[in-house]
Amino acid sequence: MKVQPWATLLARLVLGVVLLLAGYLKAQTPSKAQMAVRAYRLLPVSIANLFGLVLPWLEIGAGILLIVGIAVRYSSLFGGALMLLFVGAISQAWARGLSIDCGCFGGGGEVAAGHTKYLQEILRDLGLTATAIFLYLYPHGKFGIDKAKLEGAHLE
Amino acid sequence: MILFVVLIGVGFSVLSNKTNSKVSIPSTVSAADGYGIVLNKDAKVKVDLWEDFQCPNCRNFEAVAGGYINDLVRAGKIRVAFHPMTFIGPESILAAAAAACTVDSGKFLEMHMALYESQPAKENSGTWTNAALKVIAATAGDASSATQSCIDSGKYVNWTKNIEADAATKNVNSTPTMFINGKQLDQTHYLNLAALKADFAALGVK
Repeated sequence: MKVQPWATLLARLVLGVVLLLAGYLKAQTPSKAQMAVRAYRLLPVSIANLFGLVLPWLEIGAGILLIVGIAVRYSSLFGGALMLLFVGAISQAWARGLSIDCGCFGGGGEVAAGHTKYLQEILRDLGLTATAIFLYLYPHGKFGIDKAKLEGAHLE
Repeated sequence: MILFVVLIGVGFSVLSNKTNSKVSIPSTVSAADGYGIVLNKDAKVKVDLWEDFQCPNCRNFEAVAGGYINDLVRAGKIRVAFHPMTFIGPESILAAAAAACTVDSGKFLEMHMALYESQPAKENSGTWTNAALKVIAATAGDASSATQSCIDSGKYVNWTKNIEADAATKNVNSTPTMFINGKQLDQTHYLNLAALKADFAALGVK
């Protein structure tokens, strides 16, 4: 039995569900999501606020695409880039001595010193980056709606 | 098609998080003050307080400094704009709207303290229903029918969104956040009454 198609399916589901859940939770509390982005102190306030509103929907969109198995290369590229962005953002917060919650699954904003979980958050997001890279390299797998299958169906 | 969903979602989020100038606002509130509830609007020393009634640190701050700040307000020594935020959950919205209802009866400070004194141990516990909030208002000295119908009708629920939208532009990222004459209070002074008193004394407020 070939393992790769199943591994691709698993990777799609892992990354897809994480993105969908993260986006969904953020979309439910938009002002908190905006606060989470502002707390990184990376973007100007108005841009941070806009990003906080837009990001959840991008995650939901990418999550759905991955779960269903459409445009896997694009959505894994997007998901991987997002994860790397998060790793960078969390790392700079850590390096600058900020005390924040990453806001990855809702929540976010400043927290009491000593209540940060930077290492866990970074490791988790690096793992998801690796998952995204795998998907980019092997986008075709079980139960995916990809072009190869559709074209094959037409020719028959 | 997914792009369509994303765009609709973004559009919805952006539009529903903007300030709406047509909502019912409590008296003493204006856009210029970020829609905060203002007491002693002509006093010279201007305080802005961002809080969420469900926030435990805000309760601690009220326990330590609430009495002192209320005394200053009642003596007319400081102007305070209260910005009750609502990011913790739906009960924050109900509590903030209920507090706004008590402004007209002049019982806002009492209601403000009463809410923190009855803050549930867990956030979003479901304890703060409108019925419970009416009882809290009564213990704060406001059992008026005007306040009760204000709470029941959710008159100021939409106003709370204006507070959130304003807080977003002011880069408030935790609660409580207090500004005195435009300067943010030192993080360690919230639970240090002596230090807070010194901050006010330095501005001539005793």
